[in-house]
Amino acid sequence: MIPPFFNPVPFLAELIYTVVITAFCFLIFFKTKEIYDLTKHNGIKFFRYTFLFFGLSYASRLLLHLFMLYNGIIFEMGINRRAFLPLSNLIMAYFSTMAILYLAFSTLWKRIKIRHLALYSNLFAVIIAFVGFFSRSPLFISLIQLILLALAIIVNAFAEKKSRKVSNMRILYLMIAAFWLINLFLIDPHFRFHPAIKLVLQGFSIIVFIIIHFRLNKWLK
Amino acid sequence: MVKMNRKRDRLEVIFDFLNIIQENHNSIKPTPLLRKTNLSSQNFYEYYLELLSKGFIKEILDKNNKKFITLTDKGFKYLEKYRTIINFIDEFELS
Repeated sequence: MIPPFFNPVPFLAELIYTVVITAFCFLIFFKTKEIYDLTKHNGIKFFRYTFLFFGLSYASRLLLHLFMLYNGIIFEMGINRRAFLPLSNLIMAYFSTMAILYLAFSTLWKRIKIRHLALYSNLFAVIIAFVGFFSRSPLFISLIQLILLALAIIVNAFAEKKSRKVSNMRILYLMIAAFWLINLFLIDPHFRFHPAIKLVLQGFSIIVFIIIHFRLNKWLK
Repeated sequence: MVKMNRKRDRLEVIFDFLNIIQENHNSIKPTPLLRKTNLSSQNFYEYYLELLSKGFIKEILDKNNKKFITLTDKGFKYLEKYRTIINFIDEFELS
């Protein structure tokens, strides 16, 4: 039985948003499979896994968001509250850290002379995941990822110091990461955004994924 | 014949390698292939073994037991998709 205080609108809005973003992420991942299988190109590998991890991050964010929205209902359903929040935070922190790292590596992989990059990325993401598990705070995770993003931008700026012009694609990459971080802020109970602002931000983030998908479709139909 | 004025990247070398085979009616002996690819012997054999193991090319023997190299379906697919792959990498700045 649904308790009387259940409001389905925020849930439906989040569900639709998550399904749309996740669908675009998985579409990008699967559409690039053939050219990756043919080339085993590192840039393509990092690019497609970025979107796989972002898809999984948004899906796990929905779980966390449900917890924040319907804390009481989840408790009444018999789900262990003490386990639910840290576990969903752990999963989301792992996937999203991997997504941000791989997004940075997509364009920087040739300049990073580190062997076993995937192994170190996984280790780092696992550490961040445990930080998420023990802190139970999406906000804390978003701050760590913000630092990571800032580092990636600085490294990118040094690597590309010859060309001062920032390409449209780099701006799109930056927006993908920025919207993810904003989405993490949005689910933190300390920040109460107006639903209209939230809707506009989510609308913009969907537009960014649509543009990426559109540009991908130019080459891979 | 492939011109070698600059350092070619891996994808381009593979394209040149496969393209030479295709331009020779999909059948060429290893020695002329080595010459036409403009690679050192060591590099040539590294690419040769890689393409063989990944199923882009295969070896066939003629009636006189002489070895020829031909493209597989995957090799033809690579040639067909090469421009798309390069454009995709450029568009998304993945190089």
